[in-house]
Amino acid sequence: MNTTLSQQDTISLIFSLGVLLIVARLVGEFFRKFKMPLVVGELVAGICLGPSLLGHYFPNISTLVLNQHSNSMIAFNGITAISVIMLLFVAGMEVDLSVIRQQGKTALKTSFLGLIIPLAIGFLVAYYYYPLFGEYFTSSSKLILFSLFFGTALAVSALPIIARTLMDLGLFRSKVGMIIIIAAMFDDIVGWLLFSVILGMLKISSHSHGFLFTLGLTILYSVAMLTVGRIIINKSLPWAQKNFSWPGGFLSLSLGLAFLGAAFTEFIGIHAIFGAFIVGIAFGDSVHLTEKTREIVNQFVTNIFAPLFFVSIGFKVDFFANFDLQITLLVLVLAIATKLIGAGFGAFWGGLTKQESIAVGFGMNARGAMGIILAILALQADLINEKLFVAIVIMAVITSIMAGPALQLLVKRQIDKEQDDLDKEQDDMFV
Amino acid sequence: MSGEKKELVFKKIGIAIAFSPRLEALIAEAAKMQVGLKSEMVFIHVGNKSEEDVKTLNKYLEKYNLLNNSKLIWQEGETVETILNICNEEQLDLLVAGALEKESLIKYIMGSVARKLSRKIKCSMLMLTEPKIESSPINYIVVEGSNNPKTENTIAVAIEIAKAFKVKNVDVIQETDLNKAVLIRSDEFKENEVAKHKENLIEEEDKRLNYILSCNDCGDLKINIDRIEGKPGYIISKYAREHHADLLILNSPDRKMNLIDRVFPTDIEFALADLPCNLLLVNIKED
Repeated sequence: MNTTLSQQDTISLIFSLGVLLIVARLVGEFFRKFKMPLVVGELVAGICLGPSLLGHYFPNISTLVLNQHSNSMIAFNGITAISVIMLLFVAGMEVDLSVIRQQGKTALKTSFLGLIIPLAIGFLVAYYYYPLFGEYFTSSSKLILFSLFFGTALAVSALPIIARTLMDLGLFRSKVGMIIIIAAMFDDIVGWLLFSVILGMLKISSHSHGFLFTLGLTILYSVAMLTVGRIIINKSLPWAQKNFSWPGGFLSLSLGLAFLGAAFTEFIGIHAIFGAFIVGIAFGDSVHLTEKTREIVNQFVTNIFAPLFFVSIGFKVDFFANFDLQITLLVLVLAIATKLIGAGFGAFWGGLTKQESIAVGFGMNARGAMGIILAILALQADLINEKLFVAIVIMAVITSIMAGPALQLLVKRQIDKEQDDLDKEQDDMFV
Repeated sequence: MSGEKKELVFKKIGIAIAFSPRLEALIAEAAKMQVGLKSEMVFIHVGNKSEEDVKTLNKYLEKYNLLNNSKLIWQEGETVETILNICNEEQLDLLVAGALEKESLIKYIMGSVARKLSRKIKCSMLMLTEPKIESSPINYIVVEGSNNPKTENTIAVAIEIAKAFKVKNVDVIQETDLNKAVLIRSDEFKENEVAKHKENLIEEEDKRLNYILSCNDCGDLKINIDRIEGKPGYIISKYAREHHADLLILNSPDRKMNLIDRVFPTDIEFALADLPCNLLLVNIKED
């Protein structure tokens, strides 16, 4: 077996990495000018360079950018696989266990219904009307897994995009903002656990471990990592800080442990992303993790590996050839309706006004990068077809873009008015 | 901000006592409190009433001039539940108990008496880590200034105590979890945007605290507002330890704490796990 890349393959790989990183950044920045998330630009960059556009009209140039038939592609796929593991590690670091533990009734009801309603409706629609998505199943177990995946894809939320939108609108510290953030964090944990189990169940037939054994080990790993592992990490960080160069030492330790966790969950039959996600939660929860350290890990992963991952998605599928209006509209309507009903009703049940509840629904509606990651992993696992993949990606992009304007329209004015009244009251005090 | 403050003074104070080597020191502290706050004192002991114990207690109460102007409740039963019942029946405003700075991991998870009380009690609670017989002035108080509806009253209590005990310095600490607030996927922000968001958050916090402090008659008391970044609860506790505070004053927890809070610590659990100094949890009773 040839284990080395030829000089041509090496040049091809390095050239691809350079071009993709720069183009992803340029297009990402262009989209950001229009208040859209970077990830949208990175995705569009991939679509432009891949088989959808450049590959269709100028295949030679597209092949020059990323030659999908050379040995370098194996290395490139390895890099994107590592990228998604690191992305999930960072996503885990963003989860704040103490905030979730302290969530009030409103956030609890919002997260509960915001998760259950999309999951249940998504599952039922996919189970009974799967031909609408262009899917055909010969085994009922695969249909159940597909339905579970579809429900999960509707249930996840994109915490980073939600946080960014709330910050831009000055709503992060508002009651509505905090409820959205806490509920999204909770739904993220459950969503990733569920998705990892689905992927694990897909592998069961080709795996030596049984389902219950895998599930048992997953629970054991999660509990051990979030209790003993978390305590050990928290206690070890000051020691490492003192004895290692910092924050470089943290980068090596945390990512090293994330890869070990990922390898373990992959070994027991659950996808590697889950192991990294849990390690991320354990690290992110440490009281010794400083803002600077957190920022360095964040910048390292989200500015190098995330763009490579998202731009590579555009090379996997011809987005135009696989665009199906009916499937896309169906996915979009289901995603928006179920999240609005679930999270919105949960917030209303928790005591928010009608207007605030609708705003919570729109805030939680953003699927962003998480929705896209979910879709690509499902496509790679052969759980969904390319048409549904394209529909889910479009849904993730549209729901992310619409969160800002919807929140602006629904609550910003009301909160601004409340803030003005408070400022006036405080100014009067000082006068 | 409501602006409506409830009753601030601790009119009726309960002292949970045990016949340990720290008994005399605890009674001495109670005497100082009675003088400073002019409160009605109730001594609570849960356990058998032996002649020898009665004699010992009376001796100390007499020594500190508390024998004839305080109440003594002596009951048998499960310690924590009995004390909590007495607190309710006697309508205490504050319960004082001695507490070790740090418990062993198992004892911390299972809960010692003082820590169990602090998690369940409905009135305010003061945990004294090192009660002293001799006069020991309180020079420096650290108080929580978090964005919580309870903070206004907690700061008001800190100022009352500072005035009563002639405290020199009070630090109001804003624990700003800017990590989460600003840096979530900071690649989404340009450098100046991050700074702008931080400034906005800080300005908002400053405005709120200045408003609270303007509502309280602070007199000549030196009050300093400080901002520290980190995990709420842990970081203020660390600050109090590093700055050698005599008293740390925190809001009481917003909900009942349980075993899971010790495994996944939140807010006051960080302080309870390793008390940095004497700790007062303020829980103003609803009228």
